Amino acid sequence: MVEAVKLSRHNLFNTHIIPVNFKYFAPKTLNEALELLDKYGKEAKILAGGTDLLVKMKMRLVEPKYIINIKGIRELNFIKDEGNQVRIGALTRWRQLEKSELIKNFFPSLYDAVKVMGGTQIRNMATVGGNLCNASPAADSAPPLMVLNAKLVLASKKGEREIPITQFFKGPGKTVMEPDELLKEITIPKPEEGSGSAFIKVARTSMDLAKISAATALKVEDRKIVMVRIAIGSAAPTPVRTPKTEEALIGQPFRPSIIREKVKLVVNEISPIDDVRSTAFYRKEVSKIIVEDALLISYERASRR
Amino acid sequence: MKIPIHFILNGEEVSVEVEPNELLLNLLREKLGLTGPKYVCGIGECGACTVLLDGEPVLSCLTLAVDVDGHEVTTIEGLAKDNELTAVQKAFIEEAAVQCGYCTPGFIIMIDKLLKENPNPTEEEIREYIRGNLCRCTGYVNIVKAALKAAEELRKNTSLIKIKK
Amino acid sequence: MTESEHLFIGKRTIRKDAIPKVTGTMKFSSDYYIPGMLVGRIYKSPYAFADVRHIDTSEAERMGAVVITPDDVPSKLFNPRLVSVFEVTYKDYQVLTKHPRYLGDAIAAVAAPTEEKAQRALEALRVEFDNIRKPILDPFEAMSPNAPQIHDRILKGDERIDVKNNVGCVLEYSEGDVDKALKNADLVVERRFKTNRRYHMQLEPKTALCIPHSDGSITIYSTTQTIHNTRILIGQIFDIPLSKINVVKVPIGGSFGSSIQINPVVPITVALCLKARKPVKITLTREEDIYDHVAYQMHFKIRAGVTKDGRLVAGELENIMDIGAHQIQAYPLLGTALGWFVSLYKWRNIRYVGKAVYTNKVPTCAFRGYGAPQVSWAVETVIDEIAEKLGMDPVDFRLMNYVGKGDVFWGQGPTVKSIIRSDGVPELMERGKKLIGWHRRRLPSEKTGRYRRGIGVGRSFHTSGAGGPISGEVIDYTGSILKVNEDGTIDYITALQDHGGGTLDAHVKIIAEELGVPPDLINLVWSDTQTTLYDVCTHASRGTYVGGGAAVQAAKQLKEKIFNYAIRVLEKAVSPDALRLGYDKELKQAVVYVVDNPNMKITLKDLATLAWQRNWGTIATTVTYRSKAAPPSFTVYFVEVEVDTYTGKVRPVKVIGGADVGTVINPDFAAGQLHGGFAQGWGMTVLEDTPYLENGELMNRGFITDYKIVTAQDMPKLEDFQVIFAHTYEPTGPHGAKGLGEAALNSVAGAVANAIYNAIGVRFYELPITPEKVLEALKRREGGE
Repeated sequence: MVEAVKLSRHNLFNTHIIPVNFKYFAPKTLNEALELLDKYGKEAKILAGGTDLLVKMKMRLVEPKYIINIKGIRELNFIKDEGNQVRIGALTRWRQLEKSELIKNFFPSLYDAVKVMGGTQIRNMATVGGNLCNASPAADSAPPLMVLNAKLVLASKKGEREIPITQFFKGPGKTVMEPDELLKEITIPKPEEGSGSAFIKVARTSMDLAKISAATALKVEDRKIVMVRIAIGSAAPTPVRTPKTEEALIGQPFRPSIIREKVKLVVNEISPIDDVRSTAFYRKEVSKIIVEDALLISYERASRR
Repeated sequence: MKIPIHFILNGEEVSVEVEPNELLLNLLREKLGLTGPKYVCGIGECGACTVLLDGEPVLSCLTLAVDVDGHEVTTIEGLAKDNELTAVQKAFIEEAAVQCGYCTPGFIIMIDKLLKENPNPTEEEIREYIRGNLCRCTGYVNIVKAALKAAEELRKNTSLIKIKK
Repeated sequence: MTESEHLFIGKRTIRKDAIPKVTGTMKFSSDYYIPGMLVGRIYKSPYAFADVRHIDTSEAERMGAVVITPDDVPSKLFNPRLVSVFEVTYKDYQVLTKHPRYLGDAIAAVAAPTEEKAQRALEALRVEFDNIRKPILDPFEAMSPNAPQIHDRILKGDERIDVKNNVGCVLEYSEGDVDKALKNADLVVERRFKTNRRYHMQLEPKTALCIPHSDGSITIYSTTQTIHNTRILIGQIFDIPLSKINVVKVPIGGSFGSSIQINPVVPITVALCLKARKPVKITLTREEDIYDHVAYQMHFKIRAGVTKDGRLVAGELENIMDIGAHQIQAYPLLGTALGWFVSLYKWRNIRYVGKAVYTNKVPTCAFRGYGAPQVSWAVETVIDEIAEKLGMDPVDFRLMNYVGKGDVFWGQGPTVKSIIRSDGVPELMERGKKLIGWHRRRLPSEKTGRYRRGIGVGRSFHTSGAGGPISGEVIDYTGSILKVNEDGTIDYITALQDHGGGTLDAHVKIIAEELGVPPDLINLVWSDTQTTLYDVCTHASRGTYVGGGAAVQAAKQLKEKIFNYAIRVLEKAVSPDALRLGYDKELKQAVVYVVDNPNMKITLKDLATLAWQRNWGTIATTVTYRSKAAPPSFTVYFVEVEVDTYTGKVRPVKVIGGADVGTVINPDFAAGQLHGGFAQGWGMTVLEDTPYLENGELMNRGFITDYKIVTAQDMPKLEDFQVIFAHTYEPTGPHGAKGLGEAALNSVAGAVANAIYNAIGVRFYELPITPEKVLEALKRREGGE
């Protein structure tokens, strides 16, 4: 057997530098960015925090011809309280979320995720929009935003559209975004009175991607579950909601024994794999545990409010 | 295509031309002679390349050099002012928090910033704040001790060690 | 001498390299940028087992790059580690190879003015492969008779030897009659173990910088634990006289054994430099560094026999080492693995088979402890099981059977034996028990609930260097130069490297103690091979013990010379024997005085100035020194863990790290060794591994995204981690001191594994004990298996 190999990926990797040449743009306004995307979209990549994109370029997973650096677009960096909802600009950094009383008070599951995401430096750089657009099954922001019923506003030169986050992910690294689209902002409705939410991540160390993660939102009235949402990360090609488990819980009395029994259903709604971080067996076993734990915390938080 | 950039580096103005794909870490180390920030992983896992960008800690291995145009960058070399070590640097020495020293610049820049944000951090807050910085020698024990000691010293504002140049 | 009688030893001092390190101005080898320097990149084999048919360099050269292929460099086989004597040095490495034996073997290299240009040139190389084979990733498969040969012929010394069944080298040993002893034993425990393939994750990636000079000489800066062996190996490979090579000692950003050998990047950089006639630097990327070196992975079988009253009667160890594609130091490790085994407990009858087996994986090398963490984990597990089966307290059983004071010790293997003269194990056990709250320890069966806590003990030791009264298979000596400057300050010159543990600061204190010159007046010279005497390597926890021993001897000789000059001034003194040298607390400097007549004196400063002004000559001394012993430093860890039985996660709750290092020279740095040792040991026990894909690629692809080490948040709180030192004095050591670096790690895994057992009642025989394994085991037990 003779094989001529030009290169292995090991000879392409180079994390000392960005071993990719590209044409560089740094628009200052959203409109400029959308113009550029309209023109170069298919061969361009958006640079926001850089903590995912530049790593992927060093690993040669992506080699864009054009980089559109949107760091300078100030209008995309905000956290706004609008009464019944909170709007978060896509360029908002994780560290801003961490320091926001609004996030901490209204969206504890998102705040949980913020606290366990990356290190301080990563949270200073990485943006909320970037975390979602990379569409990693392990994205820490996804499960909480899914149980919080967040919506995403996608903008292009043609206009804007708003979609629920549950319809955003298509597969590992894939979203419904068109090449000319940019994630502009995330809107999260304020949780209903008497509800609570939580997020739990299981990882190898405190500075790691999730082996498995789960977010829950819960409302209990007259000791019965009247609202429950569950989302699981790192257990399928995308972060997923688990509607059948939710359905089975609705109307049930909030009793630990019942919760424990019903959350077993989540394993049917995920399709985890064996990989370098964990095993399918482990992910299935632990998914039940962390959903249960998250529900208990959600309940506790709901009663405290 | 070279891009001219202007920024403040450790308090002094710098004008330099960079390539679009040039990393801040390499600009600092190769062209500007500041080798305090270190390459360890290149992918944002270790914190050894940490610098302050407009006062906030960021990873220079994942920051484009063009991105600092018009901004202010501080490296470990710029922390000590007027030939005086900072309280954190002093505490690192006194608490034996330095072993091989390769991770040290990253830790010091982080803890220095932490204490500016939070002059009285708990041990847990320190550990959480520096979890993005890896050390393979110390088990972090003396680093955490140094952070606590520096916090205490800063609150007391005692005298600092002079650097003899 | 007790601690309080010491002037400097045992006192907290500021390390010499502290200010450069905290201000970011310390230059490591990767921090050097030389004008006109080229940057190198290495073409790494994309196949784990293949032959190179053709390399087309034309495009890369057209781009202006300097290119080297196996045809451009010496093809002689070498072993990158020169610590062993010639006769037992197995050689299978080449600078560049046409026969890649693992995914990552270096085939070619390029150099260009920038890293990006070098990268482009690397990508322009065209390499054709032949004979691509399925990699052998399992050592037992490798030993099967029909397995393909990874290496056919290698060199042992200068003799060509055939490799059979992929076994690179073998060591067998026996003492007494194991079969008979096991037959007569009341209890026999037999267990198989498999250790993990840990990556050192030293922070500084391997680096070399080579600078050519117009007279044909070269200067090398590199990540190394041994500048002299670097020089010798480069001299041997490239046939350059050693007088034409200068290797500069620069600080190293961690190593943990991974630069005992001359890293492959060094000869490649030298070859590029010799061809380019320009300075060339290569710093590996992290993803290359993970493919450069890992720890030895060992498969053990242990059989241990004991009488019912708790007396060990036999110990048998089979040690199959999966060494990967090349031998870095496998043969001496076969000896030390045996040494660790026999020196842990009094087995009384011993049998050992050790085999180093080639596989198509990353080459393995020493990693802090040189096999002792692995052997100790397995033995401490067996010992714990035996104690439990006999119904004995694990601490009592250990104290009954361990190798301690007065016993024969041969930790470095069968060729070097000595008697143990200092032993702090009983003290460490006693104090450790109290501090951890040993009385709280309950049987696993008594524990219920989701979160279960357990307490475990683990003990081990490491040698202090590899010296001894007779010359064995290991080279171990060092050199030390001291000179008194014209103002009475002192220059201390040694080739010995400090990895960051504060070794050289310990030497300074030892010299200060001996001469009465305060440490801040002693200059630690950043030296190189042309101005130092030979030192073998900073390894084997020899830095403080052996290097400190040389420092003591040099200081003593220097003192004599000082007296010979001082007698000219203190003329009433009858002879140099009547003089003393000591630190004068008022003058804050060293003073020579007449015994019992402290007023008849001269400061060393004045004496040195006088020697200069009167043309007496420099007061200086040179010592080359071999230690006549390699005493064990004992360590004992008591660890409490908490296991979340629902997720399998294990958390450290409380740690007592105890060490017997004889006299503690640098208390803070000694404690630092235990802190770091625990963190690494914890990672070894529950976290770290480098598994492979079938094609011979690492599952982590080289990225530390998937090679996790612990962070500050994963470690116990300050109040839950206590370090204790035994009050011992090692008569053969400098001021009673022994080594520590490796011992600080060696006993951790045993303690953690035993604590996990105590929490949940499950023993694990494969490292790391990940949450996945814990949960699976608990589920199996739940299922009634």
